[in-house]
Amino acid sequence: MSFAGLGPHGERATPADRIALTEEDAAAARAGRFNLAVVLHTTTSDWSRQELAGIVTALGSHGAAVVEVADCGFDSDQQNRELRRLAATNVDAVISIPIGNAVVAQAHRAVAHAGKKLILLDNAPTGLIPGADYAGVVSCDNFGLGAIAAELLSPYLPEEGVAGILTYGVDFFATKEREIAFRKWIDQNRPDVTLVRAKFQTIEETGPAFDRLLAENDDLDGIFVAWDVPAVKTVGAIRGRRRSLPITTVDLGQEVAQHLAAGGPVKGVAAQRPYEQGMAAGNAALLALIGRQLPSWIVLPGFPVTKANVVEAYQVVWHAPAPAGLLRARRDP
Amino acid sequence: MKTDVILDDGAVEPTSRRSVGRPRTLDAAPASLAQVLALIRDDTANTRPDLEAASGLSRAVVVDRLAALTTLGLIEEAGTGRSTGGRAPKRLSFRADAGALLVATIDRSSIAVGVADLRGQVLAEHHEAADFSAGPLAILDRLTTLFLWLMEEQGGKERIWGVGLALPGPVEPGAATASADLGDEWTSLDLASELAYRTGALAFIRSGTEMMTVGELKAGDGASDMLYVKLGRSIGAGIVIGGHLHRGVQGAAGLIGHVQTSETSAAICRCGKRGCLESIVGSDAVARDGRAGAERGESRYLAEALARSGDVTAADVANGAHLGDAFCADLAARCGRLVGESLAPFANLLNPSLIVIGGGMVQAGDILLAAVREAVYRDAHPMVTRDLRIMRSRIGGSAGLLGAAQVAADELFRPETLQRWIPYGSPRRLPEITERAAAARARHRLKIAERLTAPPPAPPAGM
Repeated sequence: MSFAGLGPHGERATPADRIALTEEDAAAARAGRFNLAVVLHTTTSDWSRQELAGIVTALGSHGAAVVEVADCGFDSDQQNRELRRLAATNVDAVISIPIGNAVVAQAHRAVAHAGKKLILLDNAPTGLIPGADYAGVVSCDNFGLGAIAAELLSPYLPEEGVAGILTYGVDFFATKEREIAFRKWIDQNRPDVTLVRAKFQTIEETGPAFDRLLAENDDLDGIFVAWDVPAVKTVGAIRGRRRSLPITTVDLGQEVAQHLAAGGPVKGVAAQRPYEQGMAAGNAALLALIGRQLPSWIVLPGFPVTKANVVEAYQVVWHAPAPAGLLRARRDP
Repeated sequence: MKTDVILDDGAVEPTSRRSVGRPRTLDAAPASLAQVLALIRDDTANTRPDLEAASGLSRAVVVDRLAALTTLGLIEEAGTGRSTGGRAPKRLSFRADAGALLVATIDRSSIAVGVADLRGQVLAEHHEAADFSAGPLAILDRLTTLFLWLMEEQGGKERIWGVGLALPGPVEPGAATASADLGDEWTSLDLASELAYRTGALAFIRSGTEMMTVGELKAGDGASDMLYVKLGRSIGAGIVIGGHLHRGVQGAAGLIGHVQTSETSAAICRCGKRGCLESIVGSDAVARDGRAGAERGESRYLAEALARSGDVTAADVANGAHLGDAFCADLAARCGRLVGESLAPFANLLNPSLIVIGGGMVQAGDILLAAVREAVYRDAHPMVTRDLRIMRSRIGGSAGLLGAAQVAADELFRPETLQRWIPYGSPRRLPEITERAAAARARHRLKIAERLTAPPPAPPAGM
């Protein structure tokens, strides 16, 4: 599997499965008895729960403890406060997903400059330097995810059709990469399709943003939503309208998987593997803590999910048997 | 003569040139206007008394220039400065957000785009793989698509004041096209006009190595004599002497990829010679050696990479070295040794205080760097190496964008350039941009017409 996207500084990807500890590394990590903090945009999403599960599993396997998990509620100011506070505590390392770009750069830099190892998830704020300001970024191949979402939507778009992009209004590397890749795939493979866009600043604004997009483009034929939670909100906004619209999105969350299996508006999902990403982030943090130099762009591939393979994909992403609603879809394709 | 000036609120007010920021003095003294602006831009002086002291200009001239710069929306008041006994003077700051810069780097395997403020601070960047062999128009079309997206994100095309573009080969000073190094398709294309047509802004074009060098200089620790070495598909050096980039007559200074090495090689270099450094340690050569190692079963890491993607890249070798694969580590060490041996004479010649190693192969980490150091310290004169530091690039693949932003910002505010655009209120309104854009548009129309009037292709044999 090769990766479609380059890193925030143009780095070629290092596959996440290469980030493993040797026996010697594991012994050094165990001897360190490291304490780590995790700073997330939210702890309530399915992606976050899986990511955290992967992180704590990897760390627990090597004698390290997650002593604090900060939920920033999608608020970059809150994240800045949390990071500056953690910089002054005695944690050895911080694993953080930057919420935004320039607005959180200084606070992330403060963590590294306080002598702690910093592992970033999904993106590096512009201006932060790998090696000096952070040890490495662990990410899904967001560029690849955007391309997968476009490919999954394409069969539902008529000739000369109009596709909508419903994306995050916050300056966020991962969602921007998805959008650029979605556009690029359409440009290259469906030049007949016109693209239109609306942004939402918060999850609650998804419905109104969708309404705006539809009001300005009543000929909309399909829509790509930046990730699963706003995609589910979009399904809600479509309900009760005269006609349904095909949706593709990113992340196989519980709810979006149910929608996919039920054969509703959601036609495809570009799935991440947050548990494995969390494992890789945990291992990367340990390697940084025992003095190993990390590749600065550590990546996991995404994969396409449709109604046809939603059960198997659920098992892969969730490490659990699929719920009944999904199994019905398998029996009744 | 009537011209228009864009005011702070975006309205366009027809005025005479003689009423805008005292244009009589603008016309007469662009150097002092640029000097005052430069002092404020780089935070050397931020109050009127400090500006007088730093510039040596009279109070009346400084007041006049500040009025002009305020009218143009380039500076604004930002609180008060330090009092020296009387009333505290007003502090002035450069409005870095008065406009924006688009920046791009074209490499032989990837492109990058970004947007920067007027100080040259990169605010956002995006990198993606690209096929250089698709030709300049395909690459420019992709850049334009990404530029349009960035412009939409930044609040519209009107905010773009300049474009900084880095090419994977030398660019002659003052030229609007690539050098012969990139082939006929590139050298026959007027890139400055193409960019004026596509963005409506002035373009500043340099080699990628030069842009990276400027980027490293900006991000660095104040070393004024520096060598930047880019290890990629091509290998080149940027030379900084006394804080200034040395470009050479053809803009081709630092082509160290074409020095002869101590090793023999059957491979023929792009330049037509054998034994060039680039043909042995350039990323194509490294990928070739890596693939051979994978096929011979000498590297488990590379064998897995080959199985996964059907190919081996220099990045795979670099990552393998980084992660402890013995074959990759040996290959990285050999690259480092050969690069170091080639650099030693340049170190003797230029006596830099710092050598920065950049490009894709630095992902190999400490192994490559240690080998470079060992060879340079061994082969160069002891006096030259006494305080010489050899470091990995601090900003990696962002160096080119950072440098392009710095070059575009500096060029826009050079006295000669300022003198040209200040009467129009914005560099976007320069007549030369309209002329260049029109020339490019005419060329595109001509090409379309040629395609439409071309005879139909011959039918296949046997029809």
